[in-house]
Amino acid sequence: MSANYIEEEEFQTRFSGKIFVRILGLIKPHWPQVVGFLLAILVVSGLDAWFTYLSKQIVDNGIVPRNVDSLLKTLELYGSLIVIQAIATFFFIFFVSILGERVRYDLRRMMFNHLQKLSLSYYSRTPVGWIIARVTSDTERVSDMITWGLLDSAWAVMNITTSLVFMFAINWRLTLIVLVILPILLYVAIQFRKRILVQYRKVRKQNSKIVGAYNENITGVRVIKALGREQGNLEEFGVVTGEMYKASYRAAWLSALFLPSVQIITAFAVGSIVYYGGLQANIGGVTIGGIQAFISYVTFMMWPIQDLARVFAEMQHAIASAERIFSLTDAVPDVADRPGSVDPGTIQGDIEFDHVTFAYDDEGKQVLRDFSLLVKRGETIALVGPTGGGKSTIVNLLCRFYEPQAGVIRIGDRDYTEISMHAIQSRIGVVLQTPHLFSGTIRENIRYGRLEATDAEVEEAARIVGAHDFIQRFEHHYDEPVGEGGNLLSTGQKQLISLARAVLAQPEIFIMDEATSSVDTLTEALIQRGMETLMKGRTSFVIAHRLSTIKRADRILVIEDGRIAEMGTHSELLRKGGKYYQLYTKQFRHEMNEAFDPLRQPGKKEQPA
Amino acid sequence: MSRSPRIPDYDLQKVVTPNRLLGLWRMMTGFRLKYLGATLSLGVSALSKTLTYMLLRYFVDHYLVAQTGSVPLIFIALGFLGLATIEGSMTFTSGRLAAQTAEGITRRLRNYLFDHIQQLSFSYHDQAQTGDLIERCTSDVDAMRRFFSDQAIGIGRIILLFAINFIALININPTLAVVSIVVLPLIVAASFFFFKRVSKAYAAYQEQEATLSTTLQENLTGVRVVKAFARQKYEMDKFERDNWEKFLRGKKLNTMHSLFWPVSDVLCGFQMLLGYFTGAVMAINGIISVGDYLAYTGLITYIIFPMRNLGRIIVQLSTGMVSFGRVREIIKERREPLDEGDYLPEKAVRGELQFQNVGFEYESGSSVLSEINFEVLPGQAIALLGATGSGKTTLVNLLPRFYEYTHGKIELDGVPLQRYPRRYLRQQIGIVEQEPFLFSRSIRENISYGVGRDVDMVEIEAAARAAAIHDVILSFPQGYDTIVGEKGVTLSGGQKQRVAIARTLLKNPRILILDDSTSSVDTETEAEIRAAMETLMKNRTTFIIAHRIQSIMNADLILVMDQGRIIQNGQHETLVSQPGMYRDIYDIQTRIEAELEKEIASVS
Repeated sequence: MSANYIEEEEFQTRFSGKIFVRILGLIKPHWPQVVGFLLAILVVSGLDAWFTYLSKQIVDNGIVPRNVDSLLKTLELYGSLIVIQAIATFFFIFFVSILGERVRYDLRRMMFNHLQKLSLSYYSRTPVGWIIARVTSDTERVSDMITWGLLDSAWAVMNITTSLVFMFAINWRLTLIVLVILPILLYVAIQFRKRILVQYRKVRKQNSKIVGAYNENITGVRVIKALGREQGNLEEFGVVTGEMYKASYRAAWLSALFLPSVQIITAFAVGSIVYYGGLQANIGGVTIGGIQAFISYVTFMMWPIQDLARVFAEMQHAIASAERIFSLTDAVPDVADRPGSVDPGTIQGDIEFDHVTFAYDDEGKQVLRDFSLLVKRGETIALVGPTGGGKSTIVNLLCRFYEPQAGVIRIGDRDYTEISMHAIQSRIGVVLQTPHLFSGTIRENIRYGRLEATDAEVEEAARIVGAHDFIQRFEHHYDEPVGEGGNLLSTGQKQLISLARAVLAQPEIFIMDEATSSVDTLTEALIQRGMETLMKGRTSFVIAHRLSTIKRADRILVIEDGRIAEMGTHSELLRKGGKYYQLYTKQFRHEMNEAFDPLRQPGKKEQPA
Repeated sequence: MSRSPRIPDYDLQKVVTPNRLLGLWRMMTGFRLKYLGATLSLGVSALSKTLTYMLLRYFVDHYLVAQTGSVPLIFIALGFLGLATIEGSMTFTSGRLAAQTAEGITRRLRNYLFDHIQQLSFSYHDQAQTGDLIERCTSDVDAMRRFFSDQAIGIGRIILLFAINFIALININPTLAVVSIVVLPLIVAASFFFFKRVSKAYAAYQEQEATLSTTLQENLTGVRVVKAFARQKYEMDKFERDNWEKFLRGKKLNTMHSLFWPVSDVLCGFQMLLGYFTGAVMAINGIISVGDYLAYTGLITYIIFPMRNLGRIIVQLSTGMVSFGRVREIIKERREPLDEGDYLPEKAVRGELQFQNVGFEYESGSSVLSEINFEVLPGQAIALLGATGSGKTTLVNLLPRFYEYTHGKIELDGVPLQRYPRRYLRQQIGIVEQEPFLFSRSIRENISYGVGRDVDMVEIEAAARAAAIHDVILSFPQGYDTIVGEKGVTLSGGQKQRVAIARTLLKNPRILILDDSTSSVDTETEAEIRAAMETLMKNRTTFIIAHRIQSIMNADLILVMDQGRIIQNGQHETLVSQPGMYRDIYDIQTRIEAELEKEIASVS
């Protein structure tokens, strides 16, 4: 729904030659197919015109002079041309449709691969729905344009040209009538097509509103009932379906008017041909077959005209689509490897934030201001403090999802921008608060941490984080599917699996951002020891509100307003009686309540998301 | 802009019959004349087309072959134009009427489904899946729209074209007419089998499209994970596999197309050729005239080529039928009667309640509540305490008749609850949930949602102030016009709850149901919410679903629930003094404070 919605929003573009060349560049690698389908369609189109001419000859050389030999010869030729045309038809459909698929494939691949390179800042300012619309509907439109669009125009132009040539050969005066009608036909057809297209866009827009309304009606049904809002909702929805009715009725109405209008214009031509043809026949200028051929040529000319009009009307939209696609593939990643960046083989060592300043966008508020911190190799740092204080930003910078605007971050005495991104990110293990799993099995999800890990290693990682037991309870154990985005599991289960995934990666630096916030207290206590072994010897950053995790840290940092408000060990800070003290007592009550509350049944707290 | 036309009234409940065709026919109620008109216009249009060729025959035989024409040539020319005009205007009329039929039926169906869904019971929604319901209301409804707009008319069109033109052919020469259709059954059969297979290949292609979208979507939403594990290469490979598979399936589908069209072209071509040959020989032997032959070559096109589409339409017809079956399953569910009940007081209720031996069990027979007994005086506060699944929520859901109790008796102001219409009860009861559902519209509309009358800004602001959310709302750039949800601002749980409180204040119900769980809210807002809730509870009979003791100590009656039964009841002082679950919970609080002191003492 949102995909459609976004697509409708920006649509303003002017024809630009540069874009056009770039679009054509997409089919360049496949030029043999393009030549193939163009040749095939030329054969088909030329034969179409020839068939009409042959029909004329059946009449003029066969029937009228009563010549059976000539008739049979013509029919023989006709028959073999049907077969040849069928072969050509096979080739053009085959080439063009498969090329269409291929271009779609290429475009999707090109975009996807580029998306992998883009930085998080791109993702934070671009809605996922927008990107999906580019990869899905825009690729469709662009590839249709350069395959079927090209084919249809080639067919149309060829068809009109050959028809005109044959017509001239039969009678030039009558052809002049057709030449007058032709541009009118084309103009009318294009106007229709454009308007129809506009209506269809409206229909699509209304449609996404309808889907949205249903969605809200179903998910919010309990509130609607409680507030007795049924009548009001139905009235509002009636307005939307009324608009939908108007838009789709208008689209259907225009389409219904389109063909008849074109037909009536051609009927003018037919009428004129009959009139002048009749007059000329009286004086012996044109044959019976000739008149028939003319009528056929004129009547069938509306089809190529139709196609041309359609291609023309859709071209604008396709170019707009292409522009959006290129805007995506042209986007430059904000964070990228510097020239000459190296992989030092390890990133163990002290980590230093040296007067770091950072804001998510240029004008935006600075999240970190002149932030300095030195973390010794192997130290465990706990970050606590209010939401929005800058804890997650520290993690984001350390992972190099973003880079500081001022100041330097050093890993092992080296400015980390001199190290390749892959070298850093493949050695940092991050577990995020909102665990993200991929469709597939539990095993596949854990193995995401280290692709070459054996089954035994996967299970070992699951044991360390205490996930093994609940995994064993599933029907298919480790091969249990997790559903789209992991939605068959509870948040707590997802967190444990994403923890196992990080454990399996054997990272040199370990980062946990509220990694076990939804895990129940009992399980949390169970995995305590496993986590301790894991963090031993590894530099670790832990953002947490759970006391057991915080107390375990070598140093606790209270982060507030992008600065370190308090720093020290658990007992130091508690004695101080400051911010940490307050956080601690509040959390202590909360956790104890949770732990001893007989109303809360352990393990049942979680509802699958 | 023109107003859209009125929708003919018809209770779509009647389309639920075992016979699908009858159901579809009933669905057309109110549009049948239009549909008939569309079909008739189509017939007239086809007839004019045929007459055009008959006129051509006359023209050729009487003006070109021999000059025996008795009307001036200009009339013949005008005749062509006239017939084309009739044909065109009739095609247009038919298209218009067909669109009115199809779009009108669809519109009525959409509205009906929308209303139907919001009037189905809680029990239905408990087990219904949102995605599936939406799919049925959109894709399946669209398939039915196509059924009425394209397929139902399309079949009529092909049959009419065939009938009219075939009669014209017989009129020219019966033998010739028969020769012209010998290959036809083969063409229809070939197209039927082809489209049947193609629709399968297409479904496979669509399925892969969905897989590919999922892969893309998961990659985009999980971009942090991808980057955190530096798995870009792996992701590209995964996408590549799905992308390539889609290409292959598309290739298969297209190969089928590229085989079918030339083959059917050859079949149709040879059918034409057979006709040309027979006709031409007849013309040479003088059995038919040259004009006959020319008219024939024109008419035959309108018999042969539409037949290629017959197979496609038949196949699509069956998908339309399947969709109708899926939509019918929703329609067949019974609505909750909102106005059923014989006791409708003019005034608001006082809020006095009596539960006598009340029980509730699901249709399957599993018991959720049993032996519930208590009394409530107007304006009292009743707290329900118990673990998840102990039946607290089900109990309060009986009051607005979201569920119907199966045993015992509930009396409101001395009258059995079932005698009150649901609509009236729900006007009298306000609910504030723990994480309330807000609609993606402006905050103003969310607050006035469900009041059922026009509310001015002063009232809305007053309610927002009383709910301690006014200042928060003003801090948004668009103030009260700020849109909530995906397309606007995301409110925190506590903010949502306060908007819901404002909404309920404005509704001003006599009975209140509060889901009081503030575990995830920080201290500051917790106090604000509590104050707002106290404002709300004043002078109303209130049910509080509680998870902690602190919030319910002042309640007039506390019900401690376990496994669908009340295991303890009374006021705080009484409950604390007797052994039981309530005192256990209460004791923990004191213990925690002691533990905390010990902990802090240990470090200093």
